[in-house]
Formats: sequence, C-alpha cells, structure tokens
Amino acid sequence: MATLVNGSATADWPGRYFHIDQILDKPGPRTDPGFAAGAEAPFLRDQAKILVIGAGGLGCEILANLALTGFKHIHVIDMDTIDISNLNRQFLFRSKDVGKSKAIVAADFIMQRVPGVEVTPYFGKIQDKGDDYYMQFNLVICGLDSVEARRWINATLVNLVDPENPESLKPLIDGGTEGFKGQARVILPTITSCYECSLDMLNKQTAFPICTIANTPRLPEHCIEWASVLEWPRVHGDKKMDTDDPEHISWLYKTAASRAKEFNIEGVTWSLTQGVVKNIIPAIASTNAIIAAACCNEAFKIATSSAAYLNNYFMLIGTDGIYSYTFEHEKRADCPVCGGESLDFPISMEVTVEELIDMLIEKQDIQIKKPSLSTPTRQIYLQAPPQLEQATRPNLEKKVSELVPGGGEVTVTASTLPFSLSLNIIYN
Amino acid sequence: MSQETQDIETATTAMTSEAPPDSRTRRYDRQLRLWAATGQAALESAHLLVLSSTATSTSILKNLVLPGVGTFTVLDDAIVTPADAGNNFFLEGPDSIGKPRAQEAVRLLGELNEGVQGHADVKSVEQLLTAGKGELFKYTLVIAHNLPRSQLERLSQLLWEDEDAPSLVVVRSAGFLAEFFIQQHEHTIIESHSETAPSLRIDKPFPALLQYTQSLDLDALDPTDHGHVPYVILLVSAMERWKKEHNGLVPQSYPEKKAFKELVSSMKRKLDEENFEEAEAQAYRSWTETKVPSEVAELFSDPKLQNLNASSPPFFHLLAALKAFTAHPPYTLPLTSTLPDMKASTDAYIGLQKLYKDQAELEKGTFKSYISPEVQIGDDIIDSFVKNAHALKVIRGSSWNSIDKDATALANAVTASPKQLAIHLALSAASSLASKTPIPLQGEILVLTIEALTQEAQSLLPPETELPEEFEDTAGEIARSPTADLPNTAALLGGLVAQEVIKMITKQYIPISGVCTVDLIETWTGIL
Repeated sequence: MATLVNGSATADWPGRYFHIDQILDKPGPRTDPGFAAGAEAPFLRDQAKILVIGAGGLGCEILANLALTGFKHIHVIDMDTIDISNLNRQFLFRSKDVGKSKAIVAADFIMQRVPGVEVTPYFGKIQDKGDDYYMQFNLVICGLDSVEARRWINATLVNLVDPENPESLKPLIDGGTEGFKGQARVILPTITSCYECSLDMLNKQTAFPICTIANTPRLPEHCIEWASVLEWPRVHGDKKMDTDDPEHISWLYKTAASRAKEFNIEGVTWSLTQGVVKNIIPAIASTNAIIAAACCNEAFKIATSSAAYLNNYFMLIGTDGIYSYTFEHEKRADCPVCGGESLDFPISMEVTVEELIDMLIEKQDIQIKKPSLSTPTRQIYLQAPPQLEQATRPNLEKKVSELVPGGGEVTVTASTLPFSLSLNIIYN
Repeated sequence: MSQETQDIETATTAMTSEAPPDSRTRRYDRQLRLWAATGQAALESAHLLVLSSTATSTSILKNLVLPGVGTFTVLDDAIVTPADAGNNFFLEGPDSIGKPRAQEAVRLLGELNEGVQGHADVKSVEQLLTAGKGELFKYTLVIAHNLPRSQLERLSQLLWEDEDAPSLVVVRSAGFLAEFFIQQHEHTIIESHSETAPSLRIDKPFPALLQYTQSLDLDALDPTDHGHVPYVILLVSAMERWKKEHNGLVPQSYPEKKAFKELVSSMKRKLDEENFEEAEAQAYRSWTETKVPSEVAELFSDPKLQNLNASSPPFFHLLAALKAFTAHPPYTLPLTSTLPDMKASTDAYIGLQKLYKDQAELEKGTFKSYISPEVQIGDDIIDSFVKNAHALKVIRGSSWNSIDKDATALANAVTASPKQLAIHLALSAASSLASKTPIPLQGEILVLTIEALTQEAQSLLPPETELPEEFEDTAGEIARSPTADLPNTAALLGGLVAQEVIKMITKQYIPISGVCTVDLIETWTGIL
C-alpha cells in the first residue's frame, strides 16, 4: 500500500505511487543489501536532482518517464527550437509550439501534466555552463543527436571527478537512436568505459570525395553535394547556406537537378536534397520510447538502489525481429579522456605534418575535425588565431621527424573538444 | 552504399519530387524515410483495438498515434483510480480520478495528432467477448495488456479460428519483467528491408553485359579511362580470360582464387587504380554462383502455391510466377536494376547502369508473363516484388498459448533459453493465479508467494520437466511487484509493441516470431 512520504511535495495524493512503491517497499531476490526497503523514496522524491540534456525525441520521453517515476527536481537543457518535423515523435509539442524553445515548452508541459514536479529549463548550449552548474546534479541523462555534444559532456563529467569527494562522481546515462536501432548505456566517469572509449563503434559517415563530386558524379547524392559544397559558395560568395530555409533547399535542389540532367543521373528529389544537406537521420517515436525508457529505468535503479543497474551497454536492432545485446564495454587504457596513458602513434620518418593531420582526421577512434598540434617545447601547427595559423603554416610541409624526436609527445587540441589528446610518436 | 541509404533514396523518390513538401509530409518526414508513402498509407487505413487503458496500453498507443495510425478504439470499463493517475501520462493527475479511464485516455492521446480518430468504448471485455466475432473483425489488429487468463483464452480462440481474423498482440508485465506475443495467421512481406544486397550476377553475365565487356579493349584505353572502368566490367573481363585458360571453369580452390585476384591485379596499369582495388575486393562475386537464395527457394514449396486460385492473395500469385521464372535459365531471380556506387567515370557508370536497367526490365517482362492471367496485380506491386525478390518472407504464426501446449518446445527451452522461459512461466503463473484469486480492493496489492508461483508454473510444464534454475529469482521479482505497471517498463513495452505493430500493418521490416521477453533488472530482451 502506498503511503504519503513525510515532507514530500504536497501534490502527492494517497495511492499516487501505488505501482512504484511495490518496488520500493520490498527488495527483490537480486536486490543489493544496501537497499533500504521503504526508505528510498525520500531521496528520490525530495532530494535527487537530475539533469536531462536534450529535449528532442529522446528528451521528451525521458522527461515524462522521470516525472512519473517520482523525480521531482529535473533540469533540462536544449538549444533548439521546435520544427514541424519533430511532431511525429516529440510528443510534448503541438503545431502551435513550432518555433518556440524545446526546453521551455517541454518543461511547461511536464509541470502541467504531472503535478508537483519542478522542471527547470535552459534554452541554450551545454557549453554555456561550467563545473559549478554540473556539480549540483546527482545524475545526468543525455538524449542527444550530436557526437560533439556527447564528447563534451562526457569529458566534462570525467574531469569533474575528485577522488576526495564521492559526490563529484555523476553517473552519466546516454541514449541514442537511428531508425529502428538504438543504444543505452551507463557511464560511471573514471570507473567504467566512457563515451570517448567507444568512439570507434560509431558508424563512419558517408563522405564523397571532392574529385567524384567535381568530375565524375554517378549518384544523385553526388549532384546534391556539388550544389551545396561547390556551387553555393561560388554563386553566393560569403552568404551562409541555411539548411532550414526552404528557399535555400529549393535552390540546391534545382541546381542539383540540372546537373543530374546534364549527366543523365536519375533520382534527385527535393526531399533527397534536404536529406543529404541536413544529414537527416530517420527517427520514430517507438525507438525513442524504448531507448528513453531503458535510460530512465537505469536512473531509477541508481537513485533508489532497488535493483542492479546496467553494466554497461544495451544495444537494440529492431529491423529483423527484436535483437538486443547487453554487454560490458571495456575501458580503454589509452582513452584520451579517462585513460591517462598517451596514445602510441606509429608513423614513418617521411610523414609530413600535413599528412599527420590528415591521418588524425581519418582515424575513427579519434574523430577530430581541425586539430592543432604542439610539443611541450614548440607549436607545430595551430588552426587559430589567424596570426598563429600563418606563423605555423610553413611547418605543414615539414616532416614530423624534423620537429619531434622518436618517443616524443605531441599534444593535439581542437576547439570542439574540452580535452587534449596526447600522442606518443613512434617512428617505424 | 549501404542498403539503408538505398532505402532512404527509394523512400524519398516516392514523395512528391519537385516541390517543397506539404505540411503533412513535413510532419512525417523522419518516418517516411523508413517506410515511405506506401507504409504510411497502410498505417493510416488501420483501425486498432486496445483492451484496457493502463499505462502500458497508453504508452503503446502513443507510439502509434504519433506516426499517424488511422483510427484506434480503447475498450475499458474502468474508472480512474489514484494509482492510475500516478503512473499514466495520458491521465491528468487527480483531475482524472473518478472519470471513465478510456474516455480520459482517448481525449489526451487524441491531442497528439489531429489526423487520428480515437474512440472510447466503456464496455467490459466480457461484453465484447459476448458480442462475438462481428464486433471484433472490424479491427485491423487487437492489443491486450494484462488481460485475465480466462478472458485471454476466449479472445485468442475467437481470433484464431478464422483465417481472416485480426492479429492479436498479447502483452503482460509485472514490475521489471514483461513479455509479449503476436498471434498471427499468415504474414507475407515484400519489403523486408534486408541488409543483403541482391546479386549483380557477375558470375553469369547477361548477354548485353558480356557483349559490352568483350567489345571493350582495356589496353586501348587512355590512362584516365583505364582507371575509371567499373569493377563489374573488370571482373567479367578477367573471368573470361581465366575461363579460357581453365577449361571454362571458375577458380575452385583457395590458391586458384588467389591466382585470379593476382590476374585482376596484373591488369592494373598504375599501382593506385582504385577501380582495380575494388575489383580485387569484390572478386568473390565472380566465382560465387548466383542461385536462388535458400530462404526464397524454401517458399516455393509453400502449401499456398499448391492450391493457387483466383482468390489467393497476390503475394502467392507473384511467388508462383517467381518459381516459374527461376525454373528457366539462368535459374536465378530476376536481375536487380539497382547498381551500387563504384569507382567509374560518369559515362561508364551510367552506361553500365543502363545495361542493368534494360536487362532488369526485360526479365521483369518475362516474369510478368508467368503471372496467372486470372489475377490483376498493379505494376507498382510487381515492381516492388521483383526488386525485393531476394528477401521475401512468409511468417506463419501460431496461436497465443501454443507454446504452453508444446511439451517438446518447453523442454527444449529449459536448456536453450532458461532466462526467457523463466519470465514466460512466471508471468503465466501470475496470470493464472490472479484469475483464481478474488480481485483485491483498490489500493491493495495482490499477494502471490514464490511457492504458489512455483507450483503453478510447474503445473504448466509437461510432467518430468523441471523448472529452469533461474525461475526462483524471476518468481521472486513477480512476488515483489505482482501488479506494478511501472512507468519505465510501460514506456519500454510501449515502444517495442508499437514497433512490431507498425511492422505488421505496413508489411515492411520483419516482426518477431515467438515470445519476446524483457528483463529490466539486467536490461535485456530475448525471444523464446
């Protein structure tokens, strides 16, 4: 029988937590002895403060689940506004909300639907917030579609860990979906494998070589890339392409279609054009529901000790039946974020700095866009500011072996990453 | 290029191609890239019946209303309790308490999508079952969550007796554990969205491809053109040379295969000709014989083909035509018209693509000539069938409780899938016990002991069969939370079940066969 917990929000009505209290009032056969039957609810309902990053496809689901399971202090961050194409799955939004902040509309909706829950929205970027902000939470759940944002929050939470202060370790629960596929995982910063440890598991994005786009187009996608990568800047100069502006997409479509016609290529459509230039990933409510529920279930188990939590990766493929795989992803000793060891990087004596940079960009387990390189004693190549870029540019043609001794350390940084990568250069 | 990308291309081609899409297409854009306009149309003409409006039921419906299912009916005679108002997002907290649960849920679900029709039916399941088939058969599919065992037995029987009855999805959950099953008669799939690409028939080049290859003098090409001959042509050409020197045989042994690759490599003019690198990597395609894939060949002995008549579904008429097609040289499926991307000049690639398209068109014509003249089948269905011929599926389901009556299957499962079986038995036992026990008063929890669950589960197994070792822990979880419809479990089931229902309705992708079991303590799913 559910009881009203002393001191919890006044909005609780008798019987409200009838379902959840069946779990909280008794241990199960596999529950950790640390679980205090009947006494976990006050932490969950009064104290626990949880941060949700992303109020999109996963975020909407996550907020609803957390609110129903009894979390009362929820914060949500999202920098996006609502688009009509969100409405097939982001169920806290309606047609009238198009153009408004996702975080604000989602927070209002949850507070209105689930009494007594306080949701604090922030309409902006995760990078706007510092360590003090992240320190206030007990748990962080991410429902993001950006690799870059995930790497940032992962590195930030790893850096936040102070071995002297157990409160500084914030479990990070991360979910992601694509079409009928998805994954959910639990990261205990510095203890388990982190997001950076598993970068090589990401699918490599299809990239079309520039020479194919310029000289030997074969697919409709090649014509679309030609329109967006080569023709747009040539015709419009500095004017920025806005992939959310239908007029810009229309221009790209027409330009791509006329090139396709010239080369007898079939299949350029308005929708394909939009899909290619925006890198649209198919997304549906059902997959998001599965993954968000898996994430929130872990948050609930961690916050209440009512059952063991996921160690540490759950992967789902729903195209052919339902296939899922639960496994422990191993921590990488040479992980640039949580490993501590520098990464051995064998190259030939002949490799130039420019070639090294290309190798870094290509490497699937590093995934860096515009790396800057330095050694403990000198700057090798810096992408910014312009004066330093100019000053270090001549090094691009030099061999790495002229600048770095064998076994020497090269520090790699990029503006998109909140950490630096340390390479141990080995000549072969 | 991956299969998924091809699918997206196909899907987007199906949309209005010229102009910016209308607002309806924009709303559904992210899902149309998965199941295209045809899948969407199927979804929009479906009418679902959902028995009860529990948290799990509304979670399932949410994921079907959002993508735009045509119509849904919730049948539920319950009045909203304080517990319902606490775990169901499609009730408005204390404001909904005391109101008919179906009406509240339908009203709030309806807000998700103006294009969807929702109906609340406050009848009881008893009344529905008494009304009989006429009432049930107007639905496309029926979903039932935590229905008492006695009612479920009658419902599943009503829907199993008739070949044309709607499919039934049976969902059960308690606390962190759950299972669901789809009772379906026959489910045929043309667009299975297989990851396997169809054969390019490099080993059996069609006349125009062979002719083109033979007419091409590789040595006479200028260096640029030489580096832009598509690998398909290179392989056909290399194999012609090889066969001349090897009594007309393709490479048989590993050393021969290696030698063939070396032959391809020796045809390079420069070290870094990418088209030749692709040819080496794809060399296996030239000695792997293109045959009818075994899964498709198995369909040719389908009983429906033996008794084909004018009223048989179009799928089986097409399957019969396919069988006839493959009985003639070159004993393969009709050629695909989809050429993957490969290193080539535009002209060489487009030229090759045209060869494939023309031949595919020709073979489709032959295929059509085998279709029984007594049936009328639309060209778009024929096109889709031929295009997906390499990955056709027929699922023949079973009735809901068939596994419980299959002593051999149960005995096998004890060793093969003990964890999954433990969940199935524990939930079945709980459901049987609940049917035998008086319904607890509002706010009181049904008491189920591990002993009672064990005894009941044992009685479901054939004599001499022991419960799996995992059963005790599983039963312990059920005893802990026998009637808990947890929001997270409900949401997860909501996603899984809705996804399978979408696959059933659109006849795209492949739905589960068997019982899908879910454990949210260890976080896994498994099929029994």
